[in-house]
Amino acid sequence: MSLLQVENISHTYRSSNRLWRSGSLTTVLSHVSFEIERGQCLGLLGSSGAGKSTLGKVILGLEQPRQGRIIFQGHDLYYADTRAARQLRRDLQVVFQDCYSSVNPRMSAEQIIAEPLNNYEKLTRDEGKRRVGELLEAVGLKADDMRKYPHAFSGGQLQRINIARAIALKPKLIVLDEAVSSLDMVNQTRILSLLSELKATFGLSYLFITHDIKAAHVISDSLAVMDKGQIVEHCRDKSGLADSAHPAVRELFASVLPEHPRDRGLGRESAIKQ
Amino acid sequence: MVQTEPVLEVNGLKVQANTPDGIVSLVRGINFEMHAGKVLGLVGESGSGKTVTSLALLRLLDRKRILVEGSIRLMGTELTGLKLSTMQSVRGKDIGLIMQNPMNAFSPVATIGSQFVETIRTHARMTRNEAAELAIAAMEDVRLPNAAELMRRYPFQLSGGMLQRVMIAICMCLKPAVIIADEPTTALDAANQLQVLRQLDRLRENNGTAVLLISHDLSVIAELADDVIVMQRGQIVERSDVYQLFDHPQHAYTKQLLQARPTLKAREPESLKEYARA
Repeated sequence: MSLLQVENISHTYRSSNRLWRSGSLTTVLSHVSFEIERGQCLGLLGSSGAGKSTLGKVILGLEQPRQGRIIFQGHDLYYADTRAARQLRRDLQVVFQDCYSSVNPRMSAEQIIAEPLNNYEKLTRDEGKRRVGELLEAVGLKADDMRKYPHAFSGGQLQRINIARAIALKPKLIVLDEAVSSLDMVNQTRILSLLSELKATFGLSYLFITHDIKAAHVISDSLAVMDKGQIVEHCRDKSGLADSAHPAVRELFASVLPEHPRDRGLGRESAIKQ
Repeated sequence: MVQTEPVLEVNGLKVQANTPDGIVSLVRGINFEMHAGKVLGLVGESGSGKTVTSLALLRLLDRKRILVEGSIRLMGTELTGLKLSTMQSVRGKDIGLIMQNPMNAFSPVATIGSQFVETIRTHARMTRNEAAELAIAAMEDVRLPNAAELMRRYPFQLSGGMLQRVMIAICMCLKPAVIIADEPTTALDAANQLQVLRQLDRLRENNGTAVLLISHDLSVIAELADDVIVMQRGQIVERSDVYQLFDHPQHAYTKQLLQARPTLKAREPESLKEYARA
């Protein structure tokens, strides 16, 4: 059985009522289905407004879809009883793009990372400190950093803290919603390799949401492309995506920037395919 | 190649911030030149002083807390000693700025049209109607659909990529000699990124604008820049022609930057671990 089954999800947003006119409906997701296996990473690609983040929210249980089911570890996420739901939420974590707004600026790194631990596990003070220290080291920071507050960290470091918080409870699936997009290239590569290592070490699964085909290609096992609320291409083997003929996929490839100035402008597509 | 007179000359630019913990050097004496119709790429990771440099050129840094030294010459005129009121007319008219987050660059309470027209009329003697016509023409020029309709919209009704193109359209109308584009595409998705870079390229080609392209993304640099300077901890560690930089990087830091890029080609796990340790 797959870790996560997304079954025929459709969702609409209603724009707010304006004076006497009633709001109009916008379809953001229509009949989306896919699965994520244990220990696998699915890269979800698409341009702005394709519905990637809404799908991420639906999978996290933050936005109940109009239609369809999310089956996580054999339970329907939106209709699980309280006890099961509590366990499911533990196994499902998230890292967002904006690392600064993901943390409370008045909490120290220790408090931030300890929060999920305190919610689920009864730990003594010393044990908690030790666990936080271990987690900080697992994401490449120093155990001493736990006393610092968010403003004292750079974006890359803060994103590591968000990752440490996400892996604190040894979850099964982490939704990474543009988790590296706001970082500079050096930090992006570092965080990507950290995520790959953590995935191997803890047997994690990821849903990696991004518009950056290069980053998705580095970390993912399989790739899916969304366009206008639908999955238009799903390749179990990530290298197969380059052969897709769908216009949305072609556009993604066509807008990849060159790795060397000699590949400027046209002829870019052929440069990628090799 | 015949070396022309530089449009912008920066000599010994130093920026120091006064903090409660003492004086911190943000930019430690950098020199560079910009030429008409050329794109100068400025790369470096977060915190290397790229944005501070661009704000120092426009003298937009807080004068009470931040000390700027050195010479900035725009077409022979020294900018550092200018009165603030004179500097006002330089900003936008002679040196344009395109920032990373287009949502913050516009006022949320005024329409695109009124902001566009106001900006043009601040720098040029024109009637409202003339300015509006120029604005619509410029927006059509950067391939924005329904330009006349867009004039009546508010910034939140446009996507980030569209706003960034409106910003470029404004720059086109004012025809500044220099444009500073500070991470112009970082907040955009791939398709919009390419559109914006193409429009910047046309701007320099048609108007002969000198562009300072600031980015941490070396593929943006590979696409557009002619020459590149690499900054690390407030200093320029390498400067060269863009081909030279990608083929024969000299400084260890540049090599590290070039390696630290996700690529579409498969990469061995060993090398990935190296970056994690770095």
